[in-house]
Amino acid sequence: MDRAFKGRLEARFGERLLGPVRQRHDETEMRIAPGDVTQVLTALHDGPELRFEFLADLCGVDTGNDMQVVYHLWSETTSDWLRVIAEGLTRDDPRAPSATFLWKGAEWMEREAYDMFGIIFEGNRDLRRIYMPPDYQSFPLRKDFYLADDAARSPGGGVRPMERTHAPVDASVAALVRRSPGS
Amino acid sequence: MTTTTDRPSLDDPRVQLDRDLGVFEPIPPYPTRTEREAEFYTLRDGEMLINMGPQHPSTHGVLRVVLKLDGEKVVDLDPVLGYLHRGVEKLCENADYHQAICYLDPLEYVSSLFCEWPGVMAFEKLMDVQVPRRAEYIRVLSGELNRIASHSLFLGWMALDLGGLTPILWSFIERDEIVDMLSALTGQRMLFNYFRIGGVNGDLNHEFLSRLGDWMSHATEQIESGQALLNENEIFVRRMRGLGTMDSATALRMVMTGPNLRATGVPFDVRRAHPYSVYPELDFDIPTRSEGDCLARYLLRMDEVKQSLRIIDQCLHEMPDGPVMAKLPRLLRPRPGRAYAGVEGPRGQYAAYVVSDGTDQPFRMRIHDPSFIHLQSVGVMVPDHLIADAMAVMASLDPIMGGVDK
Repeated sequence: MDRAFKGRLEARFGERLLGPVRQRHDETEMRIAPGDVTQVLTALHDGPELRFEFLADLCGVDTGNDMQVVYHLWSETTSDWLRVIAEGLTRDDPRAPSATFLWKGAEWMEREAYDMFGIIFEGNRDLRRIYMPPDYQSFPLRKDFYLADDAARSPGGGVRPMERTHAPVDASVAALVRRSPGS
Repeated sequence: MTTTTDRPSLDDPRVQLDRDLGVFEPIPPYPTRTEREAEFYTLRDGEMLINMGPQHPSTHGVLRVVLKLDGEKVVDLDPVLGYLHRGVEKLCENADYHQAICYLDPLEYVSSLFCEWPGVMAFEKLMDVQVPRRAEYIRVLSGELNRIASHSLFLGWMALDLGGLTPILWSFIERDEIVDMLSALTGQRMLFNYFRIGGVNGDLNHEFLSRLGDWMSHATEQIESGQALLNENEIFVRRMRGLGTMDSATALRMVMTGPNLRATGVPFDVRRAHPYSVYPELDFDIPTRSEGDCLARYLLRMDEVKQSLRIIDQCLHEMPDGPVMAKLPRLLRPRPGRAYAGVEGPRGQYAAYVVSDGTDQPFRMRIHDPSFIHLQSVGVMVPDHLIADAMAVMASLDPIMGGVDK
């Protein structure tokens, strides 16, 4: 855990951070608003004392209440993985800026996040489905997408309502999914 | 929610009635929907689209690539994925923490241990589990064996894609010896399911150690004689040199990792860059090369095999005694939190990001696979090469479709 790095991040991004910078094991985590992604990633990539030139991972997360885009970055200036969480994307119309202006290789990871969660990455030139067929309508990794059978459920999970292939349209989404771990 | 409802669907009979629709027709039967797709499917004079795969033998699985050709030259290409998509992430989110590990194995079926490793490591971080040192040494030992098996298979496939039929017969000798060893250790030939949260499934046994001792006595010699078949083959070397060149800045922009990145001169190896397990205690080099072409990628992997042998040797000498599993409750319910773990596999960084909500199932399980990332960069490397060389470039990146399609 790199304590000094936490201080550097807070000094650099103080007003953009949503919540405190958290550290656990070898990871440092910062939360930002989706509107700030472009500036924050650019600063992390180009800042002389940061130099996060290596994008380790990009993925979407559905917490049940909102959507997140999670970036994992690596730099030789710190011994920690840096996790940047862009949180608070609305479930009805999740939008985030694309990271392809820094890392062209993020294109397919963003396509995957679009395919699985429906997150629109503004600025990605090739945002179409990557795994599912082009005429597919759903977003399979969303929490309101239920598997057709409950064979994989473990007995320790307790009693859960029977899974439905189609969630009722009018029910509020938050009532159907498990408690959100993020907020 | 933004959906594609306003666009014609493939299931819409009106779309299909007015034309003969072949299953593998390269031109999409729907209006193009992105800038890049429109650019790709617009043909200039003299260009044509050719569909390759998904059953093409040199695509290493079920990859389909639409090639835009000008004569025999590839102008552009569009990989079409999803023929092997199983939804592993969703399956893991509907299984408990122990069950999730067995879904990770078939991702990259030639290096299964490296698919299990980041998942298991991420779970351990969530639960603050301390893995016994003997278990860590066994993980490194079996992992490096798996790396050699994967690289020797790469050697064979690489030559096969270039039309050389002999090397794959030689490399399978190596690979089979290692696979037999690992099956003595884990009970499975390919999908080992060996790593557990808090350790490994079983301790080293006599059969594994005696097989390993036999193999180690002739491994270096055997590997070198296998490689000499290609390293000293003038046709092979001339064909590979200068093919599919990539510079380090582009490789970083394409977020490449592993041998493909190190072949461009960037000495990034997760084992050194972000040490995990017992790698800080072991002595090994990170080979790099500066050319960034297919030959460099091939030679770099062969150098890595030698380093893996060194690591195996040290593991056997320094293997501590003790338990191979930490004491854990049978039902695991980690506190809510998030964990990320990355390991260096034979193809690059394998990583897992796990979110826990306090139940016994992962709330979100993200699997990062290097093959997926590397396959993307063929779009940068292949244009302006001949169609026959496109295969060689693709093979030199060593993608495994099980990992690409998840």
